[in-house]
Amino acid sequence: MADAKPKILMKFEGMPDGHSLKTYTAHGGYTALKKAFGMTKEAIIDEVKQSGLRGRGGAGFPTGMKWSFVPKDMPGPKYLICNNDESEPGTFKDRHLCQVSPHMVIEGMIIGGFAIGASKGYIYTRWEFQGEIKVLEDAIKEAYAAGLLGKNILGSGFDFDLDHYSGAGAYICGEETGLISSLEGKKGQPKLKPPFPAVSGYLGRPTIVNNTETLANVPHIINAGAKEFRKYGTEKSPGTKLFSISGALNKPGVYEVPLGYSFEKFITDEAGGMMPGRSIKAVIPGGASAALFTPDDLKGLTMDYEAIAAKGSMLGSGAIMIIDDRQSMVEMLKSTVDFFSHESCGQCTPCREGTGWLANIMCGLTDRTGTAASVDKMGTVAKYMSGKTICALSEACAIPVISYVTKYGDELKAYLAKGG
Amino acid sequence: MSVFSAGLVKTIEGYLTRYETKRSAILPVLHAIQDESGWISPEAIEELHTKFALDRVHVKEVITFYDIYHDEPTKKYVLRFCHQFTCHMLGAPEAIRKIEAKIDAMGESCPFQLEKFPCLGKCDGAPVLLVNKDRHERVTEDKVDAILAKYERTHG
Amino acid sequence: MAEPTPTITFLMNDKELTVPKGMTVMEAAAKNGVYIPHFCWHPGLSIAGVCRFCMVKVEGRPKLEIACNLTPSPGMKVYTQIPEVKEAHKWALEFHLINHPLDCPICDQAGECKLQDFYMEVGKYKSQMERPKVLKPKALAIGDDLVLDTERCILCDRCVRFEGEVTKTGALGIFNRGDRAIVGTYPDRKITHNYQTNLVDICPVGAFTSKDFRFKQRVWFLKEQPAICPGCSTGCHVNVHGKPEVRTYFRVKPRESAVNGHWMCDKGRHTYKHLNQEVRLRFGIVSDGVKGSPRRRASFDEAIAALATKLASVDAAKDLALLVSPQYTNEEYKAFFEFFVKKLGVKKVFQWREPTEKIDEFDGLLYRGDHNPNTKGLSDALKAVGLSGDVKNGFGELAKGGNKLVIALAPEVAFQYPSLTAQLTSLSELDYVSLWTLNGDVFGMKGIAHAIPMKGYTEKKGTFLNYQGKVGELFAPFPSAVDDARDVTETVAALADVLTRAH
Repeated sequence: MADAKPKILMKFEGMPDGHSLKTYTAHGGYTALKKAFGMTKEAIIDEVKQSGLRGRGGAGFPTGMKWSFVPKDMPGPKYLICNNDESEPGTFKDRHLCQVSPHMVIEGMIIGGFAIGASKGYIYTRWEFQGEIKVLEDAIKEAYAAGLLGKNILGSGFDFDLDHYSGAGAYICGEETGLISSLEGKKGQPKLKPPFPAVSGYLGRPTIVNNTETLANVPHIINAGAKEFRKYGTEKSPGTKLFSISGALNKPGVYEVPLGYSFEKFITDEAGGMMPGRSIKAVIPGGASAALFTPDDLKGLTMDYEAIAAKGSMLGSGAIMIIDDRQSMVEMLKSTVDFFSHESCGQCTPCREGTGWLANIMCGLTDRTGTAASVDKMGTVAKYMSGKTICALSEACAIPVISYVTKYGDELKAYLAKGG
Repeated sequence: MSVFSAGLVKTIEGYLTRYETKRSAILPVLHAIQDESGWISPEAIEELHTKFALDRVHVKEVITFYDIYHDEPTKKYVLRFCHQFTCHMLGAPEAIRKIEAKIDAMGESCPFQLEKFPCLGKCDGAPVLLVNKDRHERVTEDKVDAILAKYERTHG
Repeated sequence: MAEPTPTITFLMNDKELTVPKGMTVMEAAAKNGVYIPHFCWHPGLSIAGVCRFCMVKVEGRPKLEIACNLTPSPGMKVYTQIPEVKEAHKWALEFHLINHPLDCPICDQAGECKLQDFYMEVGKYKSQMERPKVLKPKALAIGDDLVLDTERCILCDRCVRFEGEVTKTGALGIFNRGDRAIVGTYPDRKITHNYQTNLVDICPVGAFTSKDFRFKQRVWFLKEQPAICPGCSTGCHVNVHGKPEVRTYFRVKPRESAVNGHWMCDKGRHTYKHLNQEVRLRFGIVSDGVKGSPRRRASFDEAIAALATKLASVDAAKDLALLVSPQYTNEEYKAFFEFFVKKLGVKKVFQWREPTEKIDEFDGLLYRGDHNPNTKGLSDALKAVGLSGDVKNGFGELAKGGNKLVIALAPEVAFQYPSLTAQLTSLSELDYVSLWTLNGDVFGMKGIAHAIPMKGYTEKKGTFLNYQGKVGELFAPFPSAVDDARDVTETVAALADVLTRAH
């Protein structure tokens, strides 16, 4: 029977100097890398495929498959980028992870780089994580000093350089091609696909962008094997996952649980339940871009990609925000719409104009100059700005708007009816 | 005469050769300039264009695209307060109002400027405030005075 | 033998199309007469894929796709007109209009605005925005010929790509993000290159307008005729827009061709101004044929009669010199030299060129240092009658004198000849010059004894040979803005006729 609360990604949480190379290697760190150097690239990619590891940034795309898209025989540089931009409202698990275990991320990157034939890696972190950036930069220095980065790593003949790059305040840089544009020193605007980054990414070269948590899972998969990784989680959502939970809770924070864990239990046990005198009004299960759940929706719900999708929302990056009974859904919706209209990169018309249009209608809701028809109009605008743009930001705004209008439309309309 | 200090010139030159292309250095270079002077002046952009071959249109596009960069002079302390989602639920609006009132009361000599900022990625510490690069958590209305006082003192 | 280009076959609206491999659905549609509405796609620029207008349905795919970035695979079924696609077009338009000022009544683009066209087609008559729209800067003078209205802009990025990819000046950028995004130059900097009016052409809305054309005409009153730009030896294919009924031309725009692609330079855009009646020589000039005798206006026929009389009084082989600018057509040169050189035996033929020209200069895009459309044609025509075709300014030779009569074909595009006034002055000092010209200023020059009003390049048929020897054809003339104007061929024929009848 598997441990109900395994600590794999959070193995070093609470350990003194857990983030240091010394502690990391003392507890089995970088042994996966040594093992990987004894494997073929194909075998590494295959092991990751077998593990069923899915991207932890939000989309849940199978990691091994993504790696296999990199053309094998193409000469010239290839890149592996760690997407540590974590800007989805409600998400803060990568921030915690790289503070607790920067070397787990770095080790995952070296193995990934080796598997796809990359010679250079970047960790791209949002500027707002100043303390975490310092931790990462120090860890990179330590790794260089120990011969874990640079030329001929551990005598394997494999060269891999790793650098850190800071964003500058733009949610869209969490989208992989937006991140690549930003790394190229440009506005963080997503790129038209095709071509896909695995073929033409950073500076037109084959590039893989993986989420921080995704990469941190790699050493465990290589060390313990795909089968051991699958010991936790469900058939289609294997492994453990970090969930960020926030709101009026007793213990908001980041917790590692197996995928498929009980949603209600997670709220009461891990997050310590609601603050005294508060109850759940609504739940955002996967970051600000996910559709809302009512308290009823949580009954019997498990925390895995399929179960949450089956209930009409998404697991996303595992960011749970609890909206309690003291909150106004008008104000929460305003947060959502304002956020996405502020963050739209502005290149695709339906997103640029659609998010702005929604924010404009929203003003009419908050100042009560709008009508019930304005609420319905938001749903219509949201519908038609979906599925039409280069990246998913447009839907990221549309999906929650539609769910507010559908599930809490009465409250929105009642707010208008109350008058000034 | 350079508009940048000798140390900053060295830092910029380092960034220009650190990445695959010079253009990739734009974000780090702008961070370095803003760290030194609080904002990125037209003179700085001009110098990047003429002396460091970073195109002024590219630089201006980047400055205006990202939230962190300022193309106008800033006060000594830039307060970036998350005002949405969890921070909104747990008291950001009240704390923000208090800061706004304090800034108003201080007048011209006020060393603070406030920006309502999108999610800062520390929702378990909501409401979250960045003062320049320092993160403060659980910044409810009642904590505002103490936090700002600390900076006022160092401001002298 | 070259390998045949690989092709693929797919279905567009159930019709089988075979196209070169790699061609996009947008290009395939354009080639096959299927119109897919679009704003940001332009055949002369890279693919941006941002307007999201050119949505098409691919059978079996859940979402609509943009035609501009869609490469068909064999057997793919693409639909451009089904209800799902039409609905997407309607909403794409809705999003484009939501912050647009809808100021068509005062917009120069009205009549050739794609936003307006689609607006009419889709039938939306009221903006759905209930609260104030986003306000942005207007009427910015950002180039010598450019005015920018950023509220009308739909951020299609065409102008930014033009500046980056075609002129490589990178003068434009899009600043800010979201619906605050704004196109422009770096603050207080202007676009100064010679291709800026192309930005007006490629702007699908009225964000960029031309200062030269602004507020002058509603485009639907203009007629356009294809022509070849006479501004330099590249010979760009152009359309000249004018109102023949009021004898006025308003603008010149590029016409797509292998010679100039989609573009033309701003110098070339000015080659309509000398065609307008108000600046033209509208009549002939005659005098008694004695230096300093009074001159008077004359009809074309009177002017021909006077020249015939003068011609009969001189020994053409000895006393007559020809001065010819490289701005006339091959057909005109042929008629001119056949008559004067072959028939009358004229020996002295000089070229009228601009002394300051740097004939080998080239800006790397289109504009060449030889500011004449037909240097090659003139050379060939000279060689054809046994004379030297070397490019050489003949003004010095001509000034040595000894000619009782000089017949001069003046350059048509006067602004390309900075030394023109000095040249005309030196001609006016000769014994007797017959100037064939469009230029209305010559009436004021007392020393010009005789003149015949010429047609401009938009008013005649004929061909030019460009710098590569490629033929550019003038085939669809406007009626001349000047009733008495003739081309060289017609003038020579009239002169020959009078001389024949006199003998």
